[in-house]
Amino acid sequence: MSENFLEIHGVTFAASQKNKVENVTFDLKKEGEVVCLLGPSGIGKTTILRTIAGLEKIESGRIILKNKTISSPDFHMEPEKRNIALSFQENCLFPHYNVIDNIKFGVDRNKNKKFNFSVYDLISLLHLEEIQQKYPHEISAGEAQRVSLARSLMSKPDLLLLDEPFSNIDQNLKEELQLKIKKILNEINISTIIVTHDSYEAFYMGNKCGIILDKSLKQFDTPYNIYHYPNSVEVVNFLNRGILIEAKVTGNDSLENTELGTIKGNFIKKQSVGSTVQLLIQPEDLEHDDQSNLKLEVVDRKFRGTNFIYTLRTMNNKLIPVFVHSHHEHQHKIKDKFGIKRPIYIDHLVCF
Amino acid sequence: MFIKRLSFWYISSFFISMLVALPIITVFFGFFETTSDYFLLLKNTFLLKYISNSILLLAGVLFLTFLFGVGAAYYVSFYDFPGVNFFKWALILSFAVPAYIYAYSLTAFFENYGTAFSILTYLFGPYEYNSFIPKVDGLFGSILSISFSLFAYVYVLSRAAFYYQSQNLIDVGRNLGLSPKKTFLKIILPSARPAIVVGLSLVAMETLSEFGAVSFFSISTLTTAIYNAWIAFDDLASANQLSFILLIFILFLFFVENFSRKGAKYHSPSRPGSLNRKKIKLTGFKSFYATIFCSGLFFCSFLFPVMQMVYWTFKFPKYLQDLNFLSIGFNTLVLVLLSCVLMIVFAFIANYGNRVTKSKFLETLTTFSVSGYAIPGVILAVAFITLVSYLDSLVFFKFKTMFIGSILGLVIVYFVRFFALSSNGIKSGYLKINKSMDESAYLLGYSKFKTFTKVHIPYLKNSIFLISILIAIEIIKELPITLILRPFNFETFATTAYIYASQDLLEAAAAPSLFLILTASFFILFVSKYILSDRY
Repeated sequence: MSENFLEIHGVTFAASQKNKVENVTFDLKKEGEVVCLLGPSGIGKTTILRTIAGLEKIESGRIILKNKTISSPDFHMEPEKRNIALSFQENCLFPHYNVIDNIKFGVDRNKNKKFNFSVYDLISLLHLEEIQQKYPHEISAGEAQRVSLARSLMSKPDLLLLDEPFSNIDQNLKEELQLKIKKILNEINISTIIVTHDSYEAFYMGNKCGIILDKSLKQFDTPYNIYHYPNSVEVVNFLNRGILIEAKVTGNDSLENTELGTIKGNFIKKQSVGSTVQLLIQPEDLEHDDQSNLKLEVVDRKFRGTNFIYTLRTMNNKLIPVFVHSHHEHQHKIKDKFGIKRPIYIDHLVCF
Repeated sequence: MFIKRLSFWYISSFFISMLVALPIITVFFGFFETTSDYFLLLKNTFLLKYISNSILLLAGVLFLTFLFGVGAAYYVSFYDFPGVNFFKWALILSFAVPAYIYAYSLTAFFENYGTAFSILTYLFGPYEYNSFIPKVDGLFGSILSISFSLFAYVYVLSRAAFYYQSQNLIDVGRNLGLSPKKTFLKIILPSARPAIVVGLSLVAMETLSEFGAVSFFSISTLTTAIYNAWIAFDDLASANQLSFILLIFILFLFFVENFSRKGAKYHSPSRPGSLNRKKIKLTGFKSFYATIFCSGLFFCSFLFPVMQMVYWTFKFPKYLQDLNFLSIGFNTLVLVLLSCVLMIVFAFIANYGNRVTKSKFLETLTTFSVSGYAIPGVILAVAFITLVSYLDSLVFFKFKTMFIGSILGLVIVYFVRFFALSSNGIKSGYLKINKSMDESAYLLGYSKFKTFTKVHIPYLKNSIFLISILIAIEIIKELPITLILRPFNFETFATTAYIYASQDLLEAAAAPSLFLILTASFFILFVSKYILSDRY
């Protein structure tokens, strides 16, 4: 057996006949790694966590934690034996215990394990001081989520599973909490799998990210690679990165598009010269240049604080988004012509 | 291991539902047995009379309980008038007065030379008043007795429905230009309808099973006919055949209730933090009217029987001395304790089994096993005797001596009749602990057993307490089952009162009746908060 901390080997996660994620393989190489699973809602992300926690059984594949098989078609370790904590998305605090007793509920599990935080450290880190004595029905959904997180952390599990941990928390606090929790996880070196539908959260929190689309794990890689080297059209569409235009490969570092002309850059995957491919154009790829003779019509302009996003229409009715800094000296109105700097140079050429 | 655990839940759930099913099956097969002469005679003579009496009784009681229950609930939940906070809980004290004791009070008050006569004599001097005093007995007396003792079902359920109705709904109605009266008729009443229907159907089932009051007033209904067939003619077959007819009635009611609700929920309790509905303050004539209505209801349903019984208890102290409180109290305590333990343990087994196995089949079995509450006590008792006699004839083991006229048999039949109380109580407690709560505990390293003792039991502690008290109230009031199956010389307050009353010694029935009402009231006050909540 290998040395990986957690291995998921060809597992089909099924909550029901319809709701399945098939043949998933990924691993956490070493203790302390954080993996984010990203995908649209209803795709079965929660089922994956429940299965790893041992609340659902598997019919194919194998899950190995610290070199011990915990789930396989013919073996199922009970959830209470696994030392895996799952913090549910919905409120599942014990209604008859107050916040502090809820948090302490799991403390006894790994009494002797070294842990950098006391219950009270966590309470103050997660801003729960005010509600310590309150009962679950007296606190808000966001507070309940933080209490649940604290409870899971205090049980000092080998593996922590978080299901949409920030879904009920408002934006400002969310960013603060993401920062803190990242720090806590790092400090206590606890392996974590976070499920989310927010790509920024996933990219920020995770050492690795998995994109789940269409009943399967499409890509599992570092956030940087997922962003810059998406491996399929679906991933591109899911991350809402830009648009695909048709282009002909003309050389080792160039393509030709009928409207945009020559495009230069580095192919992330080798393409054979002469073939026609779909090239990904992202908002930051094109540069504005009024002097350029390549002009496209503006159909929409969105002000986003630090930048504008212009949407330009090509002759073939493709809509291309382009970023422009908001302090750019002059602005274009809808139906204006918008110049694009040539030749176009794109660092990573993502083609399909 | 997994199979073994599974089958334990299956076997126990199956066992409980069989216990409930057996009486029904017995009655069913009893119907097809060779008809005895008595039943033929009945069929040709009195059967129609029994049925029409049962229907008349039902109609009268449903009408009155609707009027009393919904009326009181409406006043108490929407308006503010003198005494409203008192009436809120005082009206449920009527649960403590069983219909048969109410019937005794009515008779004691209105009979020739009864309490009314004494009052008139005291006020206006001696005179032949008897011809002026209306005689409240017969069918009318039965309807009154049963209505006053049962209207609280409708009151409690419709009050909860009114009370927890969201203010939003009413505001929207007002906002769309409905007058308060129209708001009540178009919004409040229809949305409380499911709850009212549940209340009325409970009343209907209780009315059909009612034995004490109707037998006291000598009104022959299907229920008393069953009892008489067994006790007077020693004809189990006929008793079972009559039971079958009554069961069909009840089944019909069951369907009507379920159909009319079509799965509609009682009401959605308003979320925490939403507006509390403000009560409308009544003034002048309206306030006076509301107070009169509620205090009249409270007087008639509770004060009147209590006062009558107190009066007689002290008027005839001889009977008070005759009453053996210690032994009766002890008997009741034994019955209550045994039943509570049995019912709560099995309620836990059934509901925990459902929870961990998540089996639809088990859930259906459990739903079925609470249906005993709909079967009249008389039927259960007679069917139980039939069954035991049948078993007795099969094997050499003396089932009869073990189960008939023994506390064991009594507790078993109580179990069938009242298991709904404990099972539904535990179930609604469990509904509040969602499944992910268990899973959270597992994931924090708690085993199934530890989860049960550390999470379930502490959380359900209150439910267990409540269930025990509800069971106690029912058993203290229960008459026909105890009467038929109790061991020789084993009396409860209910049977003592009944036996005196049936021997025309009403004044002797006063003391045990009074004690019954007082103990039951005491328990009801204990759980009034729960009864008044939406969880009933």
